[in-house]
Amino acid sequence: MSQITLASLKGARKRYGKLTALDGFDLAVNRGELLALLGPNGAGKSTAISILLGLQAPDEGSAELFGHPPQDIEGRRRIGVMMQEVALPGVMRPRELLAQVASYYPTPYEVDAVIARLSLQDIANRPYGKLSGGQKRQVQFAMAICGRPELLFLDEPTVGLDVQAREVLWKVVRELLHEGCSIVLTTHYMEEAEALADRVAVMARGRLITTGSVEEIRAHVTRKHVSCVSKLAAHAVRSWPEVLQVEMERDRMQITTRNAEALLKRLLHEDPDLTDIEVKRAGLAEAFTELTSESAKEAA
Amino acid sequence: MNTAGHMPGSRLWSAYFGEMRFELIKSLRTPAFAVPTLFFPIMFYLLFGIFLGSMRGNSAMSQYTFATYGVFGAMGPGLFGFGVSLAIEREQGLLTLKQALPQPPGAYLLARAAMAMLFVGIISILLTLMAVFVGKVPLTFMQAIQLFAIDVFGALPFCAIGMFVGALVSGAASPAIVNLIFLPMAFLSGLWLPLQFMPQFLQDIAPAWPAYHLAQMALGTVGAPSAGTVAGHVAVLAAVTLGFFLLAMRRMHGSGFRLLGARPKRTLAIIASVGAGVLALALSGVFGGNPVTSENASAVTDSSDAAAGTPAPEPPAGVPAPAVAVIADFDAGSANAAFGVGWIPSGDDMRGGNSTATQRLVDGGADGSKGALEVSGTISDAIQYPFAGTMFFPQGPPMKGLMDISGKKTLSFQARGDGKHYMLMVISGLVVDAIPLMYDFEAAPEWREVKLELAKFANADFKRVRAIGVGTMGPVGPFRVQIDNVRLE
Repeated sequence: MSQITLASLKGARKRYGKLTALDGFDLAVNRGELLALLGPNGAGKSTAISILLGLQAPDEGSAELFGHPPQDIEGRRRIGVMMQEVALPGVMRPRELLAQVASYYPTPYEVDAVIARLSLQDIANRPYGKLSGGQKRQVQFAMAICGRPELLFLDEPTVGLDVQAREVLWKVVRELLHEGCSIVLTTHYMEEAEALADRVAVMARGRLITTGSVEEIRAHVTRKHVSCVSKLAAHAVRSWPEVLQVEMERDRMQITTRNAEALLKRLLHEDPDLTDIEVKRAGLAEAFTELTSESAKEAA
Repeated sequence: MNTAGHMPGSRLWSAYFGEMRFELIKSLRTPAFAVPTLFFPIMFYLLFGIFLGSMRGNSAMSQYTFATYGVFGAMGPGLFGFGVSLAIEREQGLLTLKQALPQPPGAYLLARAAMAMLFVGIISILLTLMAVFVGKVPLTFMQAIQLFAIDVFGALPFCAIGMFVGALVSGAASPAIVNLIFLPMAFLSGLWLPLQFMPQFLQDIAPAWPAYHLAQMALGTVGAPSAGTVAGHVAVLAAVTLGFFLLAMRRMHGSGFRLLGARPKRTLAIIASVGAGVLALALSGVFGGNPVTSENASAVTDSSDAAAGTPAPEPPAGVPAPAVAVIADFDAGSANAAFGVGWIPSGDDMRGGNSTATQRLVDGGADGSKGALEVSGTISDAIQYPFAGTMFFPQGPPMKGLMDISGKKTLSFQARGDGKHYMLMVISGLVVDAIPLMYDFEAAPEWREVKLELAKFANADFKRVRAIGVGTMGPVGPFRVQIDNVRLE
């Protein structure tokens, strides 16, 4: 089955004075996937998203949304948007805000259905200005999905949410994916990307560094973590060539290595009484850190 | 799904309509907006226009305040609705979100403009009801309809000015900036106090304010004295609206906001051609190229509005003033004048007051002349604008005959009295109760000359003078003043 691209950036460049925000950035969002766009602050994530939403035009390169330039309303009638730092009118009620946004779309969900889906019944008729920060984010999420979008842009959706509200949001995100909605997620929480993303795109300094599934991204990183209970001295192990780092957590030794097989052989050889061995691959967070710092070194 | 992203026409209309309703509800729930825009004009009119003294007997003043408070009401909603909201929503990300969402093109501007016009409509209706039923302002149904239209469409230039402010300044600064435009412009355009009571240079610069032009149209509609032509005022207001709108759009576009959608050129072209069309129609005289006042009020064409229209034939002027320079010297033992009817002591009992005046001839006139005329009496505050003094009617019958003194250059006389302030009053114009020219002077114990250069009083209709009077409107209490050697030359 060939992939259908819903939104794309091709060779996008954007400069703000001397600062290059995007430096030939390519990105394609495919139907049915949740793409997590990751990158350190200043990597160009916001610029990329705002070009895809039609809020800015690239200096060079092209952007498309459902085959239209993003400025065209036709493409935007098929997307939902949740932004950071938006002040909605405090005197209006969530139900009214939802009805207004829903009116922009050809075939939106019923407002009551969206309210029920996100369990917002208790706050639906309270002035928006009187809601807590987390409740406001929930209302903004509801506004993003109420138009029955085919493509949803979520910018840091769970900042300020408590655990319970985050679980509800994640659940709805998974349901929407299941229903065929595609999602572009920008987040600082690696666990959020790890929990939800089909595909991860890592960017730094205005470029795409790598893209792939969470597994693939993690595989980019050869490091592994070995933990065990041993009578060997930490400083001795630290001097072995295959060891990157050693830390003691109570009686457990935490070793970071690029060659787990060689390390394990030597550990078992030098301490036959070694117990409780655990080998773990690096998480997305580490992969991310390694990828972006490598890219920074290359640049320097 | 081939129809994805296609919006049926009915849904599009309901989106525009819903946006307007949303704006209206939001505005009504925002006291910082609703109170100054909705209640200030109504409250001010009630306090200053109606309750502050009885309006009985002075329909000129009651018409004036009614017309100008309507214009005051037309200013607020556009200035605040655009000036403050746009600045805040531009700054706080709401406008950005709306732009990312498929909000229909132009809906943001349309909803705010419609909301402003609706607010103004409500204000206009409430003011009209109060004027007719409480203030007893004489008003025909057609006048009320015309005034309503002037106020409602008059909201548009202030929407455009507000939009420009909202595009320019920060959200925090915007209420202050808007108030700095709103209140001084209302005052300087004569919305609170008739321009005649203001220093000459303020009268001279008044045509620079958009609200002045709207006020002159409103005044002309209710039959109060006004300046300029309807066409001239419409042209100025259309130009102001279009100019500020385009400036604001340019500024917003520069900040990356596309308020008219992805292809604004066509919409902008339509708006610009409608604006230019109104301007052209105004200039070609469709709105009546004749002076605002031609039908029922005194006309004084303001030279700054000369751009507009072909004037209709002017109503006939009064009888030309005789060539004699001295109107009265009170040396022959009578209070008669060289022509006309006069001088006659006048109180305000005919207008419902009880201020009184008596007059007598006294010996020892100015410059060693034989006699002078002394007027004395009492001012009481039974009505809002009391008056007592002596009146001269150049072309009898009193107040009905008209005299054309436009060929004369100065009106002068000698005066002395109790040290209080008095006024020379010239009642002129096509309607009897037009606001008179009032010139303040101090009656010192020794004789002094009071002299008016007629050319300086552009708002008086010297072609149609009904009466010339000397007297006082207060303070309450007794007064005494002598006049002599009244000259018109």
